Amino acid sequence: MSDSNYTVVARTEALPAKSSLRVELKGHDILLCHIEAGIFAVTNLCSHAEAQLHEGKLKGHKILCPLHGAAFDVRDGTALTRPATKPLCSYRVKVLGDDILIELPETN
Amino acid sequence: MTATSDTQPGSARAPGPSVADTLRSDSIAPPPPLLEQSYQFLGDAEIPFSRYTDTTFFQSEMEKLWPKSWQWACREEHIPDVGDHYVYDIGKWSVIVVRAEDNVIRAFLNVCSHRGTRILSTEGAGYSQSLTCPFHGWSWDLNGQLTQLPGRWDFPHVSDASHGLDEVSCERWGGFVFINIDPQAATLDNYLDCLPDHFKHFPLEQRRIKLHVEKVLPCNWKAAQEAFMEAYHNVETHNAPNGANAQYDIFGKYVSRFIHTIGSYSPESLADYAGDRWRSPPLTETEQLQALGVTDAAAAEQAEQHTARAVAAAIYREQMSADMGVDLSACSDSLMLDSIEYHLFPNMFFFPGISIPMCYRFRPNGMDTDTCIFDLMLLEPIAEGAEHQEPPEPIKLSIDQSYTEAEGLSWLAPVYDEDTGNLQMQQQGFKTSTRGGVTLGNYQESRIRRVHMTLDEFLDAPVTEA
Ligand code: FES
Ligand code: FES
Ligand SMILES: [Fe+2]
Repeated sequence: MSDSNYTVVARTEALPAKSSLRVELKGHDILLCHIEAGIFAVTNLCSHAEAQLHEGKLKGHKILCPLHGAAFDVRDGTALTRPATKPLCSYRVKVLGDDILIELPETN
Repeated sequence: MTATSDTQPGSARAPGPSVADTLRSDSIAPPPPLLEQSYQFLGDAEIPFSRYTDTTFFQSEMEKLWPKSWQWACREEHIPDVGDHYVYDIGKWSVIVVRAEDNVIRAFLNVCSHRGTRILSTEGAGYSQSLTCPFHGWSWDLNGQLTQLPGRWDFPHVSDASHGLDEVSCERWGGFVFINIDPQAATLDNYLDCLPDHFKHFPLEQRRIKLHVEKVLPCNWKAAQEAFMEAYHNVETHNAPNGANAQYDIFGKYVSRFIHTIGSYSPESLADYAGDRWRSPPLTETEQLQALGVTDAAAAEQAEQHTARAVAAAIYREQMSADMGVDLSACSDSLMLDSIEYHLFPNMFFFPGISIPMCYRFRPNGMDTDTCIFDLMLLEPIAEGAEHQEPPEPIKLSIDQSYTEAEGLSWLAPVYDEDTGNLQMQQQGFKTSTRGGVTLGNYQESRIRRVHMTLDEFLDAPVTEA
């Protein structure tokens, strides 16, 4: 996988620690999350009933869905609690200088 | 001073100076509640072992105690925003506490009004603007009103009013959110007895959770909490001289207290304990200061002139004021140093102290008579008007893990290992013994008896339909 799949989506100053940021990239609705372990990216749509996760709450390494409260691990998208059972799609993230980059899956 | 006469049962006390004597000679006097004394003799009959081991007894607690008594479910700072919720489990019961609109905190049974499914799966803090059952997707707003019923055409017999969530009683005190599963429960204020009065002097709302450890213990929940209701075990279990002259108070049906001084002890109180250690010769003030972690020579010299207690309190005041950003300059020696422990029936402990700032809760572990869950929190004072930060998640320790595996407990970790190290053997011994029951000291173990007496009032109460 080459670096060319990575695209700049935001500047680091727009994503302080313990915050999240919604970004769009080629039709993908993506949520960037800055947690203690670093910056991670998951799809912004809840796998349960597609609520928008940027309206939810970031707690530690978990994002909590605003609609029915499902919790996901933002590090890899794992669904941690019901009603969600399917994981969120997660994206690779790189920080280069002040830029945050995301890698879109090759199938795109 | 000699041992007080014991002609009246319960009137005897340890020989030597009392806790009150120590407190009265402190360099900064304690607030008035700490000088109060309130003891009553409650009898000396054995407490049957079956109360700790019998599954039928456990069942009746599950039906008549837990759904009828006030318990704290979480701290207010666990649910700062509208939509934040906290799930609290107690045996077969589970409660959702939510922060609804207008800063109202409500609590509901964590169970669906359709076919009974548990709604939120995991205990602890979460967030959502509505509550939805994972089975068929019925959904309620934060006030417990049914707002979504997929395929409503099939449920003409269901209305939003008939199938709201079951609301339970919910009130706040000291920064804690209390629930009582009984919707008709008498108010919390009533139940808290002298606590609101006493804790005016040491407000718990002005504290934050510094550390929360949740451990499974190998005994009945009552045996576990009883290991923390007396300081009589200090010499044998902790190899420490203080505690033999601790003060015990019973303030009513629901509240009791001990005060156990740190940085001083009574050599006389150890008169009939095994060995001469700590008695002849007694520890010097310098040695007592060292035991408190203060080792510099200037302080030692002061301690010999004043007391270890006064010197340690002064040093702690300065250090802890700086560390926590609060002004402790007028804080009494006793609050700075001592282990002061209030118990609230059935299973909660609050410590007003500054260097011993604990809060405990003991609960059955699911439906198991022989194990329990011990929540241990350190509640650190925060500056007046300071914002609450997001509290740390509990560190969960299994039945076999040591407290030394919980980061942040430091010197307390081995102490809790000592405290909980006896419990498996005690639970086993309850079943081995042919004596019938536990024997209690009239004074030092009186708080334990008070809890059993109040428990009986709950268990003997006639069952009423909610
Ligand atoms: S849409 Fe996210 S939990 Fe239902
Ligand atoms: S059991 Fe809850 S929606 Fe059916
Ligand atoms: Fe102890």
